[in-house]
Amino acid sequence: MPAEPPAVGAAAAHVRATLDGVFTDVARVRDAAARCLADVRATGRAPVRADLAALRPLLQARLGPFVCGLGFIAAPRLLADAAWYLEWWQTGPAGRPSQLLRDLNPESSALYDYTRWEWFTGPEGGAEKTVCGPYVDYLCSDEYVLTLSAPVHAAGTFVGVAAADVFARTFENEVVPALRRIPAPAFVVNAPGRVMASNTASWPPGAVYRDVPGYAAKRCGDFSLSVVTAG
Amino acid sequence: MDGAHRVVFAPVDNTARVHAVVRRLTDAIALGLLTDGEQLPSEADLAAHLGVSTVTLREALMALRQQGLIETRRGRGGGSFVRAPAREFDLDERLRSLSAEELRDLGDHYAAIAGAAARLAAARSLPADVRRLRRSLEEMAAAGPGAGMCRLDGRLHLEVAAASQSGRLTREEIRLQAEIGPLVWAVHDLPDRRGRVDAEHAGIVDAIEAADENRARDVAESHVLNAVERLIDRRLAF
Repeated sequence: MPAEPPAVGAAAAHVRATLDGVFTDVARVRDAAARCLADVRATGRAPVRADLAALRPLLQARLGPFVCGLGFIAAPRLLADAAWYLEWWQTGPAGRPSQLLRDLNPESSALYDYTRWEWFTGPEGGAEKTVCGPYVDYLCSDEYVLTLSAPVHAAGTFVGVAAADVFARTFENEVVPALRRIPAPAFVVNAPGRVMASNTASWPPGAVYRDVPGYAAKRCGDFSLSVVTAG
Repeated sequence: MDGAHRVVFAPVDNTARVHAVVRRLTDAIALGLLTDGEQLPSEADLAAHLGVSTVTLREALMALRQQGLIETRRGRGGGSFVRAPAREFDLDERLRSLSAEELRDLGDHYAAIAGAAARLAAARSLPADVRRLRRSLEEMAAAGPGAGMCRLDGRLHLEVAAASQSGRLTREEIRLQAEIGPLVWAVHDLPDRRGRVDAEHAGIVDAIEAADENRARDVAESHVLNAVERLIDRRLAF
Protein backbone atom coordinates (compact mmCIF):
# COMPACT_ATOMS: atom_id res chain seq x y z
CA MET A 1 0.00 0.00 0.00
CA PRO A 2 1.56 3.35 -1.03
CA ALA A 3 1.90 6.06 1.62
CA GLU A 4 -1.08 8.40 1.99
CA PRO A 5 -0.44 11.82 0.38
CA PRO A 6 -0.08 14.42 3.16
CA ALA A 7 -2.97 16.60 1.93
CA VAL A 8 -5.49 13.77 2.50
CA GLY A 9 -5.41 14.13 6.28
CA ALA A 10 -5.79 17.90 5.96
CA ALA A 11 -8.77 17.52 3.59
CA ALA A 12 -10.48 15.05 5.95
CA ALA A 13 -9.89 17.45 8.86
CA HIS A 14 -11.33 20.34 6.86
CA VAL A 15 -14.48 18.37 5.97
CA ARG A 16 -14.90 17.53 9.63
CA ALA A 17 -14.40 21.14 10.75
CA THR A 18 -16.86 22.38 8.10
CA LEU A 19 -19.57 20.00 9.30
CA ASP A 20 -18.80 20.74 12.96
CA GLY A 21 -19.40 24.43 12.23
CA VAL A 22 -22.90 23.66 10.94
CA PHE A 23 -23.57 21.38 13.89
CA THR A 24 -22.90 24.35 16.20
CA ASP A 25 -26.02 25.98 14.72
CA VAL A 26 -27.94 22.69 14.92
CA ALA A 27 -27.03 22.42 18.61
CA ARG A 28 -28.30 25.98 19.22
CA VAL A 29 -31.65 25.05 17.66
CA ARG A 30 -31.73 21.77 19.59
CA ASP A 31 -31.16 23.54 22.93
CA ALA A 32 -33.63 26.33 22.18
CA ALA A 33 -36.33 23.86 21.09
CA ALA A 34 -35.81 21.70 24.20
CA ARG A 35 -36.03 24.80 26.42
CA CYS A 36 -39.12 26.10 24.61
CA LEU A 37 -40.95 22.78 24.96
CA ALA A 38 -39.90 22.40 28.61
CA ASP A 39 -41.25 25.90 29.37
CA VAL A 40 -44.62 24.98 27.85
CA ARG A 41 -44.75 21.68 29.73
CA ALA A 42 -44.04 23.55 32.98
CA THR A 43 -47.32 25.41 32.53
CA GLY A 44 -49.14 22.08 32.46
CA ARG A 45 -50.45 22.12 28.89
CA ALA A 46 -49.47 20.36 25.67
CA PRO A 47 -47.38 22.38 23.17
CA VAL A 48 -48.99 23.82 20.01
CA ARG A 49 -47.54 25.15 16.76
CA ALA A 50 -47.62 28.76 17.93
CA ASP A 51 -45.29 27.93 20.85
CA LEU A 52 -42.51 27.16 18.35
CA ALA A 53 -42.64 30.75 17.05
CA ALA A 54 -40.30 31.47 19.98
CA LEU A 55 -37.54 29.88 17.87
CA ARG A 56 -37.91 32.36 15.01
CA PRO A 57 -35.40 35.05 16.05
CA LEU A 58 -32.70 32.37 16.40
CA LEU A 59 -33.59 30.63 13.12
CA GLN A 60 -33.70 33.86 11.13
CA ALA A 61 -30.42 35.08 12.61
CA ARG A 62 -28.50 31.88 11.84
CA LEU A 63 -29.60 31.61 8.19
CA GLY A 64 -26.90 32.96 5.97
CA PRO A 65 -24.55 32.28 3.12
CA PHE A 66 -23.67 28.84 4.47
CA VAL A 67 -26.81 27.49 6.17
CA CYS A 68 -29.74 27.83 3.71
CA GLY A 69 -32.42 26.14 5.82
CA LEU A 70 -32.81 25.71 9.57
CA GLY A 71 -35.45 24.59 11.97
CA PHE A 72 -37.19 22.13 14.25
CA ILE A 73 -39.19 19.16 13.00
CA ALA A 74 -41.72 17.90 15.51
CA ALA A 75 -42.11 14.20 16.24
CA PRO A 76 -45.58 13.07 15.10
CA ARG A 77 -48.32 13.83 17.65
CA LEU A 78 -46.02 16.02 19.78
CA LEU A 79 -48.18 19.08 19.14
CA ALA A 80 -51.79 19.32 20.25
CA ASP A 81 -52.95 21.17 17.12
CA ALA A 82 -51.06 19.38 14.28
CA ALA A 83 -50.06 15.77 13.71
CA TRP A 84 -47.08 16.86 11.59
CA TYR A 85 -45.23 20.14 11.74
CA LEU A 86 -41.99 21.80 10.76
CA GLU A 87 -40.92 25.16 12.15
CA TRP A 88 -38.62 25.56 9.16
CA TRP A 89 -37.05 28.69 7.77
CA GLN A 90 -35.06 29.05 4.60
CA THR A 91 -33.48 31.72 2.49
CA GLY A 92 -36.45 32.76 0.35
CA PRO A 93 -36.39 33.48 -3.39
CA ALA A 94 -36.13 37.18 -2.58
CA GLY A 95 -33.11 36.55 -0.31
CA ARG A 96 -34.95 37.15 2.97
CA PRO A 97 -35.68 34.40 5.51
CA SER A 98 -39.05 32.89 4.72
CA GLN A 99 -41.01 30.20 6.47
CA LEU A 100 -41.72 26.95 4.71
CA LEU A 101 -45.47 26.48 4.45
CA ARG A 102 -46.07 22.93 3.36
CA ASP A 103 -49.28 21.01 3.33
CA LEU A 104 -48.61 18.31 5.94
CA ASN A 105 -52.16 17.08 6.08
CA PRO A 106 -52.31 13.29 5.43
CA GLU A 107 -55.78 13.77 3.89
CA SER A 108 -54.48 16.01 1.12
CA SER A 109 -50.74 15.41 0.73
CA ALA A 110 -48.69 12.33 -0.10
CA LEU A 111 -45.49 14.03 1.08
CA TYR A 112 -46.47 14.77 4.68
CA ASP A 113 -44.70 11.79 6.26
CA TYR A 114 -41.17 13.03 6.90
CA THR A 115 -40.39 10.33 9.46
CA ARG A 116 -38.94 7.97 6.83
CA TRP A 117 -36.20 10.39 5.81
CA GLU A 118 -32.73 9.56 7.05
CA TRP A 119 -32.39 13.02 8.67
CA PHE A 120 -35.30 12.02 10.90
CA THR A 121 -34.67 8.28 11.43
CA GLY A 122 -31.01 8.90 12.36
CA PRO A 123 -31.68 11.18 15.36
CA GLU A 124 -34.81 9.21 16.25
CA GLY A 125 -32.64 6.09 16.46
CA GLY A 126 -30.25 7.81 18.86
CA ALA A 127 -27.52 9.21 16.58
CA GLU A 128 -26.20 12.50 18.00
CA LYS A 129 -25.09 13.71 14.55
CA THR A 130 -26.62 12.65 11.25
CA VAL A 131 -25.32 13.86 7.89
CA CYS A 132 -27.75 13.10 5.09
CA GLY A 133 -27.22 13.63 1.38
CA PRO A 134 -26.53 15.18 -0.97
CA TYR A 135 -30.07 14.54 -2.17
CA VAL A 136 -32.76 16.43 -4.10
CA ASP A 137 -34.93 17.84 -1.33
CA TYR A 138 -38.41 17.96 -2.85
CA LEU A 139 -40.04 18.38 0.57
CA CYS A 140 -38.55 21.80 1.36
CA SER A 141 -36.30 23.50 -1.18
CA ASP A 142 -36.33 21.54 -4.49
CA GLU A 143 -32.55 21.93 -4.37
CA TYR A 144 -29.60 19.54 -4.08
CA VAL A 145 -28.74 19.75 -0.40
CA LEU A 146 -27.10 18.19 2.63
CA THR A 147 -29.15 17.96 5.82
CA LEU A 148 -27.39 17.80 9.19
CA SER A 149 -29.59 16.82 12.10
CA ALA A 150 -29.61 16.07 15.82
CA PRO A 151 -32.26 14.73 18.23
CA VAL A 152 -34.19 17.02 20.58
CA HIS A 153 -35.16 15.59 23.96
CA ALA A 154 -37.51 17.03 26.55
CA ALA A 155 -37.91 15.36 29.94
CA GLY A 156 -35.91 12.40 28.63
CA THR A 157 -38.23 11.80 25.66
CA PHE A 158 -37.49 12.22 21.95
CA VAL A 159 -39.67 15.12 20.80
CA GLY A 160 -38.24 15.90 17.36
CA VAL A 161 -35.25 16.87 15.30
CA ALA A 162 -33.15 20.02 14.98
CA ALA A 163 -31.70 20.32 11.49
CA ALA A 164 -29.79 22.55 9.10
CA ASP A 165 -29.61 22.43 5.29
CA VAL A 166 -26.55 23.35 3.25
CA PHE A 167 -26.71 23.54 -0.55
CA ALA A 168 -24.48 20.84 -2.07
CA ARG A 169 -22.81 23.57 -4.13
CA THR A 170 -21.95 25.56 -0.96
CA PHE A 171 -20.38 22.50 0.65
CA GLU A 172 -18.49 21.79 -2.58
CA ASN A 173 -17.06 25.34 -2.77
CA GLU A 174 -15.91 24.99 0.82
CA VAL A 175 -14.06 21.66 0.52
CA VAL A 176 -12.85 21.46 -3.09
CA PRO A 177 -9.79 23.70 -2.48
CA ALA A 178 -8.60 21.17 0.11
CA LEU A 179 -9.31 18.27 -2.26
CA ARG A 180 -7.35 19.98 -5.04
CA ARG A 181 -4.25 19.99 -2.86
CA ILE A 182 -4.29 16.18 -3.06
CA PRO A 183 -2.03 15.19 -5.99
CA ALA A 184 -4.39 12.41 -7.17
CA PRO A 185 -8.10 11.97 -8.02
CA ALA A 186 -9.93 12.39 -4.69
CA PHE A 187 -13.48 12.92 -3.46
CA VAL A 188 -15.61 12.99 -0.33
CA VAL A 189 -18.13 10.14 -0.11
CA ASN A 190 -20.98 9.69 2.40
CA ALA A 191 -21.76 6.49 4.30
CA PRO A 192 -24.13 4.93 1.71
CA GLY A 193 -21.62 5.71 -1.05
CA ARG A 194 -22.74 8.97 -2.66
CA VAL A 195 -20.01 11.38 -3.83
CA MET A 196 -20.43 14.74 -2.02
CA ALA A 197 -17.58 16.78 -3.54
CA SER A 198 -14.72 15.85 -5.81
CA ASN A 199 -11.53 17.08 -7.47
CA THR A 200 -12.15 14.99 -10.61
CA ALA A 201 -14.85 14.88 -13.30
CA SER A 202 -14.60 11.08 -13.24
CA TRP A 203 -16.38 11.13 -9.85
CA PRO A 204 -18.76 14.10 -9.95
CA PRO A 205 -21.07 14.98 -7.03
CA GLY A 206 -24.04 12.61 -6.98
CA ALA A 207 -22.13 9.66 -8.47
CA VAL A 208 -22.24 6.34 -6.62
CA TYR A 209 -18.95 5.00 -5.25
CA ARG A 210 -18.53 1.41 -4.18
CA ASP A 211 -15.18 0.14 -2.95
CA VAL A 212 -12.73 0.15 -5.84
CA PRO A 213 -9.49 -1.84 -5.60
CA GLY A 214 -6.50 0.48 -5.19
CA TYR A 215 -8.59 3.36 -3.78
CA ALA A 216 -7.96 4.34 -0.16
CA ALA A 217 -10.60 5.82 2.19
CA LYS A 218 -9.78 8.14 5.10
CA ARG A 219 -12.53 8.79 7.67
CA CYS A 220 -13.42 12.41 8.45
CA GLY A 221 -13.10 12.29 12.24
CA ASP A 222 -16.16 10.86 13.97
CA PHE A 223 -18.38 11.37 10.89
CA SER A 224 -19.20 8.36 8.74
CA LEU A 225 -17.82 10.16 5.68
CA SER A 226 -14.51 9.53 3.98
CA VAL A 227 -12.05 11.20 1.67
CA VAL A 228 -11.37 8.59 -1.02
CA THR A 229 -8.12 8.85 -2.97
CA ALA A 230 -7.22 6.93 -6.12
CA GLY A 231 -4.02 4.91 -5.65
CA MET B 1 -32.30 42.77 -36.04
CA ASP B 2 -31.16 39.32 -37.12
CA GLY B 3 -33.28 36.26 -36.51
CA ALA B 4 -31.72 35.33 -33.18
CA HIS B 5 -32.20 38.83 -31.75
CA ARG B 6 -35.80 38.89 -32.92
CA VAL B 7 -36.44 35.70 -30.96
CA VAL B 8 -34.58 36.92 -27.87
CA PHE B 9 -36.30 40.30 -27.76
CA ALA B 10 -39.76 39.10 -28.78
CA PRO B 11 -42.46 40.31 -26.38
CA VAL B 12 -43.28 37.78 -23.68
CA ASP B 13 -46.95 36.97 -23.88
CA ASN B 14 -48.26 38.07 -20.51
CA THR B 15 -51.77 36.74 -21.16
CA ALA B 16 -50.31 33.26 -21.61
CA ARG B 17 -48.43 33.56 -18.31
CA VAL B 18 -51.50 34.70 -16.41
CA HIS B 19 -53.42 31.85 -17.98
CA ALA B 20 -50.71 29.33 -17.01
CA VAL B 21 -50.71 30.49 -13.38
CA VAL B 22 -54.52 30.38 -13.21
CA ARG B 23 -54.62 26.87 -14.69
CA ARG B 24 -51.90 25.58 -12.37
CA LEU B 25 -53.61 26.86 -9.22
CA THR B 26 -57.08 25.83 -10.44
CA ASP B 27 -55.92 22.25 -11.03
CA ALA B 28 -54.12 22.12 -7.67
CA ILE B 29 -57.28 23.29 -5.88
CA ALA B 30 -59.55 20.93 -7.83
CA LEU B 31 -57.27 17.99 -7.02
CA GLY B 32 -57.02 18.93 -3.35
CA LEU B 33 -53.26 19.55 -3.55
CA LEU B 34 -54.11 22.97 -2.14
CA THR B 35 -56.71 22.51 0.56
CA ASP B 36 -59.69 24.51 1.72
CA GLY B 37 -58.65 27.36 3.99
CA GLU B 38 -54.93 26.99 3.23
CA GLN B 39 -53.07 30.30 3.11
CA LEU B 40 -51.05 31.01 -0.02
CA PRO B 41 -47.53 32.46 0.39
CA SER B 42 -47.15 36.25 0.15
CA GLU B 43 -47.54 37.74 -3.34
CA ALA B 44 -43.80 38.48 -3.57
CA ASP B 45 -42.81 34.94 -2.57
CA LEU B 46 -45.45 33.23 -4.68
CA ALA B 47 -44.48 35.30 -7.74
CA ALA B 48 -40.81 34.43 -7.17
CA HIS B 49 -41.60 30.72 -6.75
CA LEU B 50 -43.67 30.63 -9.93
CA GLY B 51 -41.09 32.71 -11.78
CA VAL B 52 -43.57 35.40 -12.84
CA SER B 53 -43.79 39.13 -12.09
CA THR B 54 -46.03 40.35 -9.27
CA VAL B 55 -48.15 42.10 -11.91
CA THR B 56 -48.78 38.76 -13.64
CA LEU B 57 -49.48 37.08 -10.33
CA ARG B 58 -51.96 39.75 -9.26
CA GLU B 59 -53.88 39.37 -12.51
CA ALA B 60 -54.01 35.60 -11.97
CA LEU B 61 -55.16 35.99 -8.36
CA MET B 62 -57.87 38.37 -9.51
CA ALA B 63 -59.13 35.77 -11.98
CA LEU B 64 -59.10 33.11 -9.24
CA ARG B 65 -61.01 35.45 -6.94
CA GLN B 66 -63.63 35.97 -9.62
CA GLN B 67 -63.99 32.19 -9.93
CA GLY B 68 -64.43 32.02 -6.16
CA LEU B 69 -61.38 29.77 -5.74
CA ILE B 70 -59.52 32.08 -3.39
CA GLU B 71 -60.51 34.87 -1.09
CA THR B 72 -58.29 37.72 0.03
CA ARG B 73 -58.53 39.22 3.48
CA ARG B 74 -56.92 42.52 4.34
CA GLY B 75 -55.16 43.61 7.49
CA ARG B 76 -53.42 41.67 10.22
CA GLY B 77 -53.50 37.92 9.60
CA GLY B 78 -54.63 38.73 6.06
CA GLY B 79 -53.57 37.20 2.78
CA SER B 80 -55.02 34.93 0.11
CA PHE B 81 -56.79 31.78 1.22
CA VAL B 82 -57.94 28.77 -0.80
CA ARG B 83 -61.66 28.14 -1.08
CA ALA B 84 -62.08 24.56 -2.24
CA PRO B 85 -64.90 24.11 -4.75
CA ALA B 86 -67.57 21.49 -4.33
CA ARG B 87 -67.09 20.16 -7.85
CA GLU B 88 -64.42 17.60 -8.72
CA PHE B 89 -61.75 17.72 -11.39
CA ASP B 90 -63.49 17.28 -14.73
CA LEU B 91 -61.21 15.61 -17.29
CA ASP B 92 -63.33 16.41 -20.33
CA GLU B 93 -63.82 20.03 -19.37
CA ARG B 94 -60.07 20.40 -18.93
CA LEU B 95 -59.36 18.60 -22.25
CA ARG B 96 -61.67 20.93 -24.16
CA SER B 97 -59.14 23.80 -23.82
CA LEU B 98 -56.30 21.77 -25.35
CA SER B 99 -55.71 20.78 -28.97
CA ALA B 100 -54.34 17.40 -30.01
CA GLU B 101 -51.14 19.17 -31.05
CA GLU B 102 -50.74 20.79 -27.62
CA LEU B 103 -51.35 17.45 -25.91
CA ARG B 104 -48.83 15.71 -28.14
CA ASP B 105 -46.23 18.41 -27.46
CA LEU B 106 -46.80 18.30 -23.70
CA GLY B 107 -46.44 14.52 -23.89
CA ASP B 108 -43.18 14.81 -25.87
CA HIS B 109 -41.76 17.19 -23.28
CA TYR B 110 -42.87 15.13 -20.31
CA ALA B 111 -41.64 11.87 -21.86
CA ALA B 112 -38.20 13.44 -22.46
CA ILE B 113 -37.94 14.58 -18.83
CA ALA B 114 -39.38 11.39 -17.31
CA GLY B 115 -37.19 9.20 -19.53
CA ALA B 116 -33.98 11.09 -18.75
CA ALA B 117 -34.76 11.12 -15.03
CA ALA B 118 -35.47 7.36 -14.96
CA ARG B 119 -32.26 6.58 -16.85
CA LEU B 120 -30.13 8.62 -14.41
CA ALA B 121 -32.01 7.13 -11.45
CA ALA B 122 -31.02 3.67 -12.71
CA ALA B 123 -27.41 4.83 -12.93
CA ARG B 124 -27.27 6.53 -9.53
CA SER B 125 -29.75 4.95 -7.12
CA LEU B 126 -28.59 3.59 -3.79
CA PRO B 127 -30.61 0.95 -1.88
CA ALA B 128 -32.36 3.63 0.23
CA ASP B 129 -33.64 5.30 -2.95
CA VAL B 130 -35.07 2.02 -4.23
CA ARG B 131 -36.72 1.34 -0.84
CA ARG B 132 -38.48 4.70 -1.11
CA LEU B 133 -39.83 3.77 -4.57
CA ARG B 134 -40.95 0.32 -3.35
CA ARG B 135 -42.80 1.89 -0.43
CA SER B 136 -44.75 4.11 -2.83
CA LEU B 137 -45.62 1.09 -5.01
CA GLU B 138 -46.90 -0.74 -1.92
CA GLU B 139 -49.01 2.22 -0.84
CA MET B 140 -50.41 2.49 -4.37
CA ALA B 141 -51.33 -1.19 -4.34
CA ALA B 142 -53.32 -0.57 -1.15
CA ALA B 143 -54.97 2.67 -2.31
CA GLY B 144 -58.33 2.85 -4.01
CA PRO B 145 -59.03 5.06 -7.03
CA GLY B 146 -59.36 8.80 -6.56
CA ALA B 147 -57.38 11.73 -5.21
CA GLY B 148 -55.26 9.58 -2.87
CA MET B 149 -54.04 7.47 -5.79
CA CYS B 150 -53.25 10.62 -7.82
CA ARG B 151 -51.12 11.98 -5.00
CA LEU B 152 -49.17 8.72 -4.68
CA ASP B 153 -48.71 8.54 -8.46
CA GLY B 154 -47.26 12.05 -8.37
CA ARG B 155 -45.03 11.18 -5.43
CA LEU B 156 -43.64 8.05 -7.11
CA HIS B 157 -42.58 10.03 -10.18
CA LEU B 158 -41.17 12.78 -7.97
CA GLU B 159 -39.09 10.16 -6.14
CA VAL B 160 -37.81 8.76 -9.45
CA ALA B 161 -36.81 12.28 -10.53
CA ALA B 162 -35.09 12.96 -7.21
CA ALA B 163 -33.21 9.65 -7.48
CA SER B 164 -31.62 11.02 -10.67
CA GLN B 165 -29.70 13.40 -8.33
CA SER B 166 -30.65 16.25 -10.65
CA GLY B 167 -32.33 19.28 -9.07
CA ARG B 168 -33.19 20.65 -12.50
CA LEU B 169 -34.89 17.45 -13.69
CA THR B 170 -36.76 17.23 -10.39
CA ARG B 171 -38.00 20.83 -10.66
CA GLU B 172 -39.00 20.18 -14.26
CA GLU B 173 -40.89 17.05 -13.16
CA ILE B 174 -42.73 19.15 -10.54
CA ARG B 175 -43.54 21.81 -13.15
CA LEU B 176 -44.82 19.24 -15.65
CA GLN B 177 -46.86 17.46 -13.00
CA ALA B 178 -48.52 20.78 -12.24
CA GLU B 179 -49.27 21.26 -15.93
CA ILE B 180 -50.20 17.81 -17.23
CA GLY B 181 -50.22 15.62 -14.10
CA PRO B 182 -53.96 15.97 -13.41
CA LEU B 183 -54.73 14.84 -16.98
CA VAL B 184 -52.33 11.88 -16.88
CA TRP B 185 -53.56 10.74 -13.46
CA ALA B 186 -57.19 10.99 -14.55
CA VAL B 187 -56.41 8.65 -17.47
CA HIS B 188 -54.37 6.32 -15.23
CA ASP B 189 -57.34 6.12 -12.91
CA LEU B 190 -59.78 4.88 -15.59
CA PRO B 191 -60.82 1.33 -14.65
CA ASP B 192 -59.56 -0.26 -17.88
CA ARG B 193 -56.11 1.36 -17.48
CA ARG B 194 -55.22 0.50 -13.90
CA GLY B 195 -53.60 -2.89 -14.50
CA ARG B 196 -51.39 -1.67 -17.31
CA VAL B 197 -50.38 1.47 -15.41
CA ASP B 198 -49.47 -0.55 -12.30
CA ALA B 199 -47.30 -2.82 -14.46
CA GLU B 200 -45.55 0.20 -15.99
CA HIS B 201 -44.83 1.67 -12.55
CA ALA B 202 -43.42 -1.65 -11.36
CA GLY B 203 -41.39 -1.89 -14.58
CA ILE B 204 -39.77 1.50 -13.99
CA VAL B 205 -38.84 0.63 -10.39
CA ASP B 206 -37.56 -2.84 -11.37
CA ALA B 207 -35.33 -1.34 -14.07
CA ILE B 208 -33.97 1.28 -11.65
CA GLU B 209 -33.22 -1.39 -9.05
CA ALA B 210 -31.49 -3.53 -11.72
CA ALA B 211 -29.46 -0.43 -12.76
CA ASP B 212 -30.74 -1.05 -16.32
CA GLU B 213 -30.53 2.51 -17.65
CA ASN B 214 -31.98 1.91 -21.11
CA ARG B 215 -34.93 -0.12 -19.91
CA ALA B 216 -35.73 2.46 -17.20
CA ARG B 217 -35.79 5.22 -19.82
CA ASP B 218 -37.85 3.21 -22.32
CA VAL B 219 -40.52 2.20 -19.78
CA ALA B 220 -40.74 5.73 -18.31
CA GLU B 221 -41.13 7.27 -21.78
CA SER B 222 -43.79 4.86 -22.98
CA HIS B 223 -45.58 5.24 -19.62
CA VAL B 224 -46.12 8.93 -20.43
CA LEU B 225 -46.77 8.47 -24.14
CA ASN B 226 -49.39 5.75 -23.58
CA ALA B 227 -51.35 8.08 -21.30
CA VAL B 228 -51.06 10.98 -23.73
CA GLU B 229 -52.23 8.82 -26.65
CA ARG B 230 -55.34 8.03 -24.66
CA LEU B 231 -55.85 11.73 -23.88
CA ILE B 232 -55.58 12.64 -27.57
CA ASP B 233 -58.04 9.90 -28.52
CA ARG B 234 -60.49 11.22 -25.97
CA ARG B 235 -60.00 14.83 -27.07
CA LEU B 236 -60.56 13.98 -30.74
CA ALA B 237 -63.78 12.11 -29.91
CA PHE B 238 -65.50 15.34 -28.75
